[in-house]
Amino acid sequence: MAGHDLSLQRVTPPTDTASEASLSAHIARFSARLRSHGIDLSLSDEIDASLALQLVDIRTEEQVFLALRTALKVNRRHWSIFNLIFDRMWRQAEGLAALPNLRENERKAAGRLPCRIRLTERTPTKDEVEESNDRNKAGGYTPEEQMRHKTFDECTTEDFVAMQQLLDRLARMLKTRCSRRRVLEKSGDVVDLRHSFRGSLAVGGEMIELAKTTRAVELPHLVLLCDTSGSMDSHSRFLLMFALSLKKVAPRSETFAFNTRLTRLTHWLSPENVTSTVEQLARGVEDWSGGTRIGACLLEFTDSWLTQTVCSDTTLIILSDGLDQGDPDLLKQAMVRLRRRARRIIWLNPLMGDDRYRPEAKGMKTALPYIHHLAPAHSLAALEAMLPLLAT
Amino acid sequence: MKPEVQQLQATMRKLGYIAGPSIATAVYLAEKMVKPLLIEGGAGVGKTEIAKVLAQQMGAELIRLQCYQGLDVNTALYEWNYQKQLLRLRIASAQHEQPEGLEELIFGREYLLERPLLSAITQPDNAPVLLIDEIDRADEGFEAFLLELLSDFQVTIPELGTISAVHRPFVVLTSNRTRELGDAIRRRCLYLYIEYPSLEKEIEIVRMKVPETDERLATQIAAFMHELRKHRLIKTPGVSETLDWARALAVLHRDRLDPQIVEETLGCVLKDRHDIDQLRDEALEDVFTAAITTATRV
Repeated sequence: MAGHDLSLQRVTPPTDTASEASLSAHIARFSARLRSHGIDLSLSDEIDASLALQLVDIRTEEQVFLALRTALKVNRRHWSIFNLIFDRMWRQAEGLAALPNLRENERKAAGRLPCRIRLTERTPTKDEVEESNDRNKAGGYTPEEQMRHKTFDECTTEDFVAMQQLLDRLARMLKTRCSRRRVLEKSGDVVDLRHSFRGSLAVGGEMIELAKTTRAVELPHLVLLCDTSGSMDSHSRFLLMFALSLKKVAPRSETFAFNTRLTRLTHWLSPENVTSTVEQLARGVEDWSGGTRIGACLLEFTDSWLTQTVCSDTTLIILSDGLDQGDPDLLKQAMVRLRRRARRIIWLNPLMGDDRYRPEAKGMKTALPYIHHLAPAHSLAALEAMLPLLAT
Repeated sequence: MKPEVQQLQATMRKLGYIAGPSIATAVYLAEKMVKPLLIEGGAGVGKTEIAKVLAQQMGAELIRLQCYQGLDVNTALYEWNYQKQLLRLRIASAQHEQPEGLEELIFGREYLLERPLLSAITQPDNAPVLLIDEIDRADEGFEAFLLELLSDFQVTIPELGTISAVHRPFVVLTSNRTRELGDAIRRRCLYLYIEYPSLEKEIEIVRMKVPETDERLATQIAAFMHELRKHRLIKTPGVSETLDWARALAVLHRDRLDPQIVEETLGCVLKDRHDIDQLRDEALEDVFTAAITTATRV
């Protein structure tokens, strides 16, 4: 991998006479290093950087540093790693290999992917999908109704294929939220002057028919926080699949996984390829199937992501059994902040499938006063019952 | 630092904006590279102020577009003056005017209401500063529309044709990070993130903006704000809160902080009941003591 190329070339501050070509070469090398550490840059960013460097005094470190950071549009979130790389490149200090690599986790985890997390042992062929459709239509082997009440830990691969389709249909029910934006609609309630006037020109300026607008229907804005700790193992692959289905109808939705640490999954969720994504996800999330520190993770979420991902029309969904090993005080702090910002907090708890379940676990008890809805999430029927909550 | 950047920094200071090297460099680069400048940072750190100072510095007009959810092209770009158009049509029919040319007439520039974006590219004399404030509040669709404007600086109006910029405006976008902006718009701009100022810089800002405060009070105020920002608050106070507070203390003729006045005027600094409660119960004394200690050391 490029990031581990140790034969580091020294980036000397080019002198005044240095040609543009050598400057570009330096920038290209620097950008490559940034990329290998997980900072996405495009060619146009590099061009901007080389323009910027021609405008500042490239013999002073601070100027070069500021010019590069501005022109490469390095997000605030990546500043610490940018600073490190810049420092090393400028000074040619040893030990770039010791830099924390943003993609390190992904590679490390590739070796230890537990089998039980894979969504399917292999991708079902088209025939299999159709076959399972036929079965559903015939109401035979696994009728939809029966499937809905099956708990997730009993499901087989075939069930998952059919479930995926049911899920997609359920997720589509979510499109019911009204926006502030207005669109043309015959039965609308507000007259749109611009279009009415345009229409009137055809009949010499007489407004016979008025164009009207109504409020646009917008997709719901969801943020999902999935617990992927060991105690959630039998549920988490299904719940992530649910997250993927939601992503299809609500592209703005954000997904995070947490166990002992918080990982943002939004970038990884591509609806086209569920199987490989779930595998990727498992690889990308550190400590998958490990312990849980719900409070600390949620607090990390409120510190680094809350303002950007959650606004007053966001429905926040927490998928967790609430078996927290951390300090309940942290959880309380986090819940206070979430509650104040989100429109609604829904806690989905797979353990609630059992009638005898009472929310008495330490974590669950702490969080309870701040939750709008606590709903079961052990089967599709349970999720289906929850969907109207998301849409309103 | 390059002399030009230093000079820019000095000019901005003269206009009442204390810019560190990172701000001055970013503004200088954006001016020279003719690229929009995207400014992010917490609330009240002086994002919008940069655009105002820039307009003053360049002697240009400041055109401001405040974004909000549901902002559409009619409010941001242009709108036809329907009443005027209708009236013109009535006159035409009353006077039995020939219909030829009438349509062209009522869809002429005279009947066009310019909104901020259009007016920014049609300024006849010199390039204005276009401030697109709180872009993160607008819908994503509007962001996509802006992309087109920011790359070509031209606008197509179906009835009128394409209008290209007479002078390319200097564009400043600000965002409070209430949502993540798209990558495409980020790429079009240069990026500046403003952090809360250092203690020294904040003292300087207070003394410059609220000249009534003496050095000791300014130092104490800045030190208190610094200690306060170390706490996990729901609304971390920015520089504008610091200045509000300094003005409030000046109005009350205070020349130093004491626990009582801090408690009485806490509302200038903390704008959230939960924050106030939490601080009153737990940490106000600690913050105060730490601030006074820091202030005596400066």
